[in-house]
Amino acid sequence: MGRKKKKQSKPWCWYCNREFEDEKILIQHQKAKHFKCHICHKKLYTGPGLSIHCMQVHKETIDKVPNSMPNRSNIDIEIYGMEGIPAADLKEHERQKQGSRGNDSGSDDDEPSAKRPKPEGLLGNAPGVMQGVPGMMPGMMPPPGMGPGMHHMGPMMQMGHMGPHFMHHPGKKNSLFFLRMQMMPPHMQAMMQGQGGPAKPLFPSAIPTSSPGGPSAPVVGADFKPISSGASSKIIHPAEDISLEETRARHPKYARSIPSKSDDGASSSSTAASELAIAVSAAQQAAVHQQKQVEAMNQHAAMMQRFPVRVTGPPISMTMGGPIMAPMRHHQMIPGPPTLIGGPLMRPPPLSMPP
Amino acid sequence: MFNQSALGGFGATATPSTANPMKDFEVAQPPDDSVSSLAFSPATLPQNFLIAGSWDNNVSCWEIEQNGSSVPKSMQSCGGPVLDVAWSDDGTKVFKAGCDKQAKMWDLASNQVVQVAMHDAPIKTCHWIKAPNYSYVDFPMAVVGTAGRQIIVYQLEGKPQEYKKLDSPLKYQHRCVAIFRDKKKVPTGYALGSVEGRVAIQYVNPTNPKDNFTFKCHRSNGTPNGYQDIYAVNDIAFHPIHGTLATVGADGSFSFWDKDARTKLKPSELMEQPITRCAFNHNGQIFAYSVSYDWSRGHEFYNTQKKNYIFLRSCYEELKPRTSS
Repeated sequence: MGRKKKKQSKPWCWYCNREFEDEKILIQHQKAKHFKCHICHKKLYTGPGLSIHCMQVHKETIDKVPNSMPNRSNIDIEIYGMEGIPAADLKEHERQKQGSRGNDSGSDDDEPSAKRPKPEGLLGNAPGVMQGVPGMMPGMMPPPGMGPGMHHMGPMMQMGHMGPHFMHHPGKKNSLFFLRMQMMPPHMQAMMQGQGGPAKPLFPSAIPTSSPGGPSAPVVGADFKPISSGASSKIIHPAEDISLEETRARHPKYARSIPSKSDDGASSSSTAASELAIAVSAAQQAAVHQQKQVEAMNQHAAMMQRFPVRVTGPPISMTMGGPIMAPMRHHQMIPGPPTLIGGPLMRPPPLSMPP
Repeated sequence: MFNQSALGGFGATATPSTANPMKDFEVAQPPDDSVSSLAFSPATLPQNFLIAGSWDNNVSCWEIEQNGSSVPKSMQSCGGPVLDVAWSDDGTKVFKAGCDKQAKMWDLASNQVVQVAMHDAPIKTCHWIKAPNYSYVDFPMAVVGTAGRQIIVYQLEGKPQEYKKLDSPLKYQHRCVAIFRDKKKVPTGYALGSVEGRVAIQYVNPTNPKDNFTFKCHRSNGTPNGYQDIYAVNDIAFHPIHGTLATVGADGSFSFWDKDARTKLKPSELMEQPITRCAFNHNGQIFAYSVSYDWSRGHEFYNTQKKNYIFLRSCYEELKPRTSS
């Protein structure tokens, strides 16, 4: 696909005939030069998009595309990058290129036809995009299932006005139709907010939940811009469909301290012997804690003023289960008063602490 | 009030600016392992205390002072990694729950810990609910996201019962949920975050189905036609005063959003590690977020040498709603 395309010609702008290195730059050019609103400088994605924007937001009509050649200024024709260029204009451009290039014949015969299925692919790649189209249409209007003309009478009028306009381009334009539909929300909402340029919006791809089983679409890009390929995004998450905490808890470092956790069938140890092994290692961990407590006890007196601690008689219940109690008590005797074990573990005070 | 310019007294080492790109206040002596939960003390206490539960089996408590400095107060151990912490609404007790399958109540004044619940499996969340016989019911609503991609909304008044069961609007695994309130401070909906960098705002009883919507977040930009990394939304928190929300993601950034105006209020720079949790203090002056590894890239990327951070940010102005509606 890439080879053939580049062999034909570099991407060029239908509006002003300039050539570009690749399509991305072409699109940026179009957005900045041809699809930019002269009032608020918002960059739209297509000519009709710009027209609708100016109509709805600024109440102004636009009759020609800014910065375009006189024979290419039709605002109703939908061009996005190289998509939407009429075959006749493509051929004409080719001929002009052939004339200046000489005898580099190439395969420009099948080019126009090869181009035809491609634009379908632009948005068609997005999984579920196509099936979203019929769903989107009623979805665009306020509450689907209800007819038009519910509360939003104002925008409804506009929409109805544009409706027949959409139908002009059958067949191939289907994919661009969806693009235009996607464009509606910013205009609708911007209008409803009653503001023009700033304070725009929107969360990317605000999808009403009413669209059933709608496109799971990590595909539709920010600000409703259609992304050509849906396969090049990756979710940074382990493949298993369990929570990150569950995955982490299975890691040996943590699994030791979790007494015989039993997931669905993944119980690591059910025998009493291995439970005791876990208990012993858990006890070792507690011993480490107690080490710190011994050090911390020196600071204890200073801390008492800040955070009074009542040393109580009965030992605090340990967090271990029953069978572990016996070895634990043994440990408790060593450092001193058992009541402080598991109690306040004061860290050395920070330097800034006032007396 | 919460003064952003004075750094106050911190612990010893200076934090490299790459670890703190937003130049927020760093909490002194953070936990040694990933932070799993954060909670600020309720309004009933005059001071601000922050509790953090961590995978190093500890729950730590700091007093947060007006100038942003944090004073470690106390720490408690658990039998296993702590997964959630909660305050009682009188601010005297802290609840903690985690992988040791127990929920415990820690009385701060006496520093005693008592077990209050036991389950068969690790406990993921614990919350303090005001009982109906108080004059003002705080949370009559509870929302649970299930592994089967369902949402169950519970009605907690009287005897807790299931109010509604819905299919999730999100197609990927749920990660976090947070309840928001309407103008009258009545819980009215929830925000649901998934591992696919997306948050759904759902009203329990929407007046208009279009009230519910989803938005994408925590994705690396990449080229528009090219590669994009999608990160999990690890936590969502609603500002107690403004009703706006904050999300934190596995990409290591936090963002502030206004769900009514449907706009992003502020993004942040990227931290060196994912942000696992976030919390607002009771009056919405302080936003706390914890930077630690959340396991989103599996155990291979777990680096015990990397320090865990909890940052505090003075956020009241930044979270003001965008529209006047």
